[in-house]
Amino acid sequence: MNEIPAIQLEGISKRYNDVQALDDVSLDVRRGEIICLAGENGAGKTTLMKILYGMEQPDSGTIRIDGKEVSLRSPLDSAALGIGMVHQHFMLVGGFTVAQNAALGIEKKRFGSILDTKATEDFVQKKIDEFGLSLKATDCVDSLTVGQRQQAEILRLLCRNDRIMILDEPTSVLTEEEVSRLFSHLKAMAGEGETIVLITHKLDEIKRISDRVAILTKGRMTAIRRTSDVTEDEISKLMFGSSVKLGIPRQRASEEGKTVLSLHNVCVKKQSQEKPLLCHVSFDARAGEILGFAGVSGNGLGVLEGVLGGFIRTSEGTITLRGQDITGLPTRELRKNGLSYVPADRIAMGSCAKATVSENLIAPMLGRFSLGPFLDRRRIREFSEDRISKFGIKASPDETASSLSGGNIQKMILSRETVLAEDCIVLSQPTWGLDRESSQFVYLQMQELRKRKIAVILISYSLDEILAVADRIVIISKGRIAGIMDNKEGLSREKLGRMMLGKEDRDE
Amino acid sequence: MNSGYSRAKGAFIVILIAMAIIAALCFVLSETPVKALSLFFIGPFSSLYSLGNMLASSTVLILGGLGVSIAMKGSSFNLGGEGQIYLGGFVAAVSGVALQDLGMLGTLIAIAAGSLASGAIAGFSGWCRMKWKTSEMISSFLLSSALVMVINYLITGPFLDPGSNLLTTQKVPQAMRLSKILPPSGLSTAILIAIASAAVIQAYLYRTKGGYSLRITGMSYRYAVYSGLNTRVYTWLPMFLSGTLYGMGGALSVFGTYYACVRDFQSGLGWNGFAVALIAGSNPVLVIPAALFFAWIQSGARIAMQGSDLTSQVASIAQAVIFFLITCEAFGRTRKKGGVSCK
Repeated sequence: MNEIPAIQLEGISKRYNDVQALDDVSLDVRRGEIICLAGENGAGKTTLMKILYGMEQPDSGTIRIDGKEVSLRSPLDSAALGIGMVHQHFMLVGGFTVAQNAALGIEKKRFGSILDTKATEDFVQKKIDEFGLSLKATDCVDSLTVGQRQQAEILRLLCRNDRIMILDEPTSVLTEEEVSRLFSHLKAMAGEGETIVLITHKLDEIKRISDRVAILTKGRMTAIRRTSDVTEDEISKLMFGSSVKLGIPRQRASEEGKTVLSLHNVCVKKQSQEKPLLCHVSFDARAGEILGFAGVSGNGLGVLEGVLGGFIRTSEGTITLRGQDITGLPTRELRKNGLSYVPADRIAMGSCAKATVSENLIAPMLGRFSLGPFLDRRRIREFSEDRISKFGIKASPDETASSLSGGNIQKMILSRETVLAEDCIVLSQPTWGLDRESSQFVYLQMQELRKRKIAVILISYSLDEILAVADRIVIISKGRIAGIMDNKEGLSREKLGRMMLGKEDRDE
Repeated sequence: MNSGYSRAKGAFIVILIAMAIIAALCFVLSETPVKALSLFFIGPFSSLYSLGNMLASSTVLILGGLGVSIAMKGSSFNLGGEGQIYLGGFVAAVSGVALQDLGMLGTLIAIAAGSLASGAIAGFSGWCRMKWKTSEMISSFLLSSALVMVINYLITGPFLDPGSNLLTTQKVPQAMRLSKILPPSGLSTAILIAIASAAVIQAYLYRTKGGYSLRITGMSYRYAVYSGLNTRVYTWLPMFLSGTLYGMGGALSVFGTYYACVRDFQSGLGWNGFAVALIAGSNPVLVIPAALFFAWIQSGARIAMQGSDLTSQVASIAQAVIFFLITCEAFGRTRKKGGVSCK
């Protein structure tokens, strides 16, 4: 049997500045197959699919669709070839009906130009019935549940007769019941000859839905297996098995400090969503330790950052800082209480691109640089120069921040927040996208903070990073704490990986 | 500082192109182009009287330009300049008459009252933006348009000066007027107040905590929230200050030039403030030369119209050309930086 594969990716490589996102990746997918693309965050899954969808162009490598070599310069090219993508964030037009959304751009027309609403609705409804979706063509999309919205997205692809569907983490916002329904639909579509590529890192889902699983590790395709040939354990080992030495001298917290920041039963729920984003999260951060939070994206780490930073409201639970209740305080109030915080979004949130470096260095502590209502320009100057030389920021105080590199922006933010840190600091994804040298610098700073008896909260998607620097590790999975443990010798990476994927029982 | 240089260069090129187009217009439309041209460009400097009038008309332009600039620094757009100048002038004129026993102290109070009244109106648009995220652009424009109608009624109705042939309020007494420079031209000490305002605004924006917070909130709202700045206040304050400056422009016109609130005296001034701010790149100090340039073209056009066969439309065309070119240049600037917002 020498069937031509629906998708053939060969030797795909892609580089973003300092980071090799994809390195010589090859993958064949047969018609009617469901394949799962799995891997850690930053492994290159989304980049690979963006290339297949025409949103990004590879530096090298070839793409063949049905055996024919193609060049995909934009999503229009891929759409013409019947490739469709359901993004993690839905792209439905609000206020339009299901039919209007599904048939956008391909509406049935009368006399060549007048929209035939009835015919369009009939056409869409036929597609809905054909695949047994729980939608009505005439429903307004605003009234749909999250699960139905996703069906509407898929319906859009079906109406275009797309034969290749890419779904980027389709289950992250769905309840268990909605997931089951989605999977049975996908299976039915595969039976009709649809080729489906799913990006996911949920082991049980890989087992439940896919024919094969392809695993990307740090931009390389490390394994492609028949799903029936591997166990969940083996998949998790393939995903998390290889560690990278970060080359940081390990230091341990000397003695147990007293509790500085404490969360008790914190829950976060969004109104439109049934699934809570955080569910009964409790932990203590102690003085002089690095408390590392690890997890897979979409499991609540970002929400935890928002809660600690004061811009996501908790729906239950209490947060105390030095024994004082700070639950529900907005960022401004938290800052007054000594919040020191390095956000994951260092460009739009942690810094102001249009402002100068010294203007960026003083915002959260204006009070220290004032003479009555005026700014003390000499002190600002001295402070900026001191920060720039101590942190080795390659910039002058009057330069605008937009001209700085990512690493220097992060140094600028760190140099500011470490001054503010009195007894607690929150760092979210502090080395994301940084080169090796800058990352090392960040780790050294964290160890400095620990020496100053500060509770360091590190939120990171990189397990290697957590294992290298954290004293205690909190694993977050599906919005819950899956485990809190000391970072001792012999802690197995695979075991943590399984916990992150929600496969290991909680152990304290 | 680099961006400041390229901004100045951009504005300079625009000014040159505008002047070239004006020259071309003179050649096409006039029988005596050389005379028209010289009247246009040199006319404003030919006598102390014309020079004084040119400087007088730059007074409101400076304040209007400052008003637009400070709103833009806070990432707000105040399109209500016309109504705010009118309101400032009206309130100042009416309270000036009411306070005539107080002399110059009354003048001060009247100018402050006019400024604050306009500040309150513009600040209200900013406050709505803070409270309900309404567009301050739309609300300030609509409020201003309505205000013009209301003030028109008040001037021609209850506050009409029966002793005058014009549609105007009663004149403020001699003792309250700002002293003249270069009489009989319209120039008064009001221009010194305008220039001082530019210096105050510059110092406020770059030397005080409040100005710093206002600019940071304007440049990046998320960063300002993250840093713990009082973003609520700095959402409405730029509009309030903007309105105050416009209002002061109106009030100074009354006490320096007209001595009463004449119907429709504000017409066009609010929009010209925008052109001035765009030429100056929202930089308070650069607003002064930008306003002088604009006033030069305006009075040049007026003088050329009186002394040659050019019609009044040429003045309008000249202004439109400058407005158009400056807008293109300003948008080009922001587009090059990769932003879609016009700041």
